[in-house]
Amino acid sequence: MTIYRTIKRGTSLIGMLLVCTFLLGWADTWEDIQRASSKITSVSARFSQEKHMQILAKPLISRGRFYFQTPDSVRWEYTAPVRSVLLMHKGKIKRYTQGSKGFVEDRGGAVDSMQFILQEIGRWSKGRFNENEYFSATLKGGTGAHIILTPKEKGLAAMISRIVITPSPDRPGVLKSVTIVESEENYTLFEFTDSQLNAPIAESLFREVE
Amino acid sequence: MKAPLLPRSRFWIVMWAVCLISCSPLPVIKPTDQTAATVRKCRQPFLDTPYRFVHAIEAALPGGGSGTVLGITVFNPESKAIHSAIFTLEGFVLFDARYDGKLVVSRALPPFNAERFAEYMMEDIRLIFLPPEGRLLTAGTLEDGSAICRYEGNQETIIDVIVHRDDSWEISTYRNRYERLRTISGFSVRDGIPGMLELTGFESRNYSLRLKVISAEPLSRETIP
Repeated sequence: MTIYRTIKRGTSLIGMLLVCTFLLGWADTWEDIQRASSKITSVSARFSQEKHMQILAKPLISRGRFYFQTPDSVRWEYTAPVRSVLLMHKGKIKRYTQGSKGFVEDRGGAVDSMQFILQEIGRWSKGRFNENEYFSATLKGGTGAHIILTPKEKGLAAMISRIVITPSPDRPGVLKSVTIVESEENYTLFEFTDSQLNAPIAESLFREVE
Repeated sequence: MKAPLLPRSRFWIVMWAVCLISCSPLPVIKPTDQTAATVRKCRQPFLDTPYRFVHAIEAALPGGGSGTVLGITVFNPESKAIHSAIFTLEGFVLFDARYDGKLVVSRALPPFNAERFAEYMMEDIRLIFLPPEGRLLTAGTLEDGSAICRYEGNQETIIDVIVHRDDSWEISTYRNRYERLRTISGFSVRDGIPGMLELTGFESRNYSLRLKVISAEPLSRETIP
């Protein structure tokens, strides 16, 4: 496997997990989630990403913006510390990173690892998150409701211990945070702000880098 | 008789092209009567206190592949201990290893789990951040006035440290007088910290990396992880 493909796999797995978690509505049961999710046609939000690792004294913070439009258009954009844009639109997936020569498309291998995610998105967009092939989902309802995803496969479990999704307590369909736990000392916390649901998003955002 | 794969003329063209890439003879050193000052100048790229660096790493690989990852390096010049981690922009850890007299790899996803990858990576980090430990062979200047120090490396290699007048620098390793193995260049140097590093591997380790510094943080003995 090339470095490119490993990066792509790591990217696709984490990036798309975040995408799908946005499709979860706030609720106490899976049925409520499916009902709330069916009303969502688009999502946009700002995010901050905190990387916690033993090698770091304080977390490494990245920032960016996220857009989703049903059925399967995604823009996952980092603005700092490295500018990078992942675009998914009409079955095509591209990733651009700003380097020394401006935005350059990541090259070198097929984006096949993204393909399975695209297939999953249809299911997630209907809120059928508990039918995921790769993760078992547990819903903890009530005050401080959250969803815990645990990998089904041993190989995946060696890389990701669990994912904790915390919905906004007062806005159905809006996420407060997602934590991807690789090990107790190594985790990534995503926090979302300025979330907007069902607002029109220009199609060009899913096609063009700038 | 079996026909050769390439006609003789083309064979030499190919060889010449290959040689252009990797056969780079050792630079000619003009002697100086200020050896001590030159050696001091050659120490300039190497920090003498522990540091933590975060870099954006832009990788160009043989076959046209490219990608960007983030890298964290912690090193202690006193103990020569190194801790290094590589992760995707989304925070997914691809590689995590530590050298403190012994190499311990905590995580290495393919292809970072390739045989000797961690060892080679620690070699590169050592070359960037720690001064050569081998015997000083000669010191002087280049034609353009840059300071140059030539050291004996391990396994019959030679290490050249060149510090230019604008404080940018180059460290190259050679297997013999003509075969360059690696070159590391440090640019945009401010307060001894290069804002950009460029690593180029030749021969069997054919790669090119550009490391842009995101943060450089001096550490005390107490804050080294």
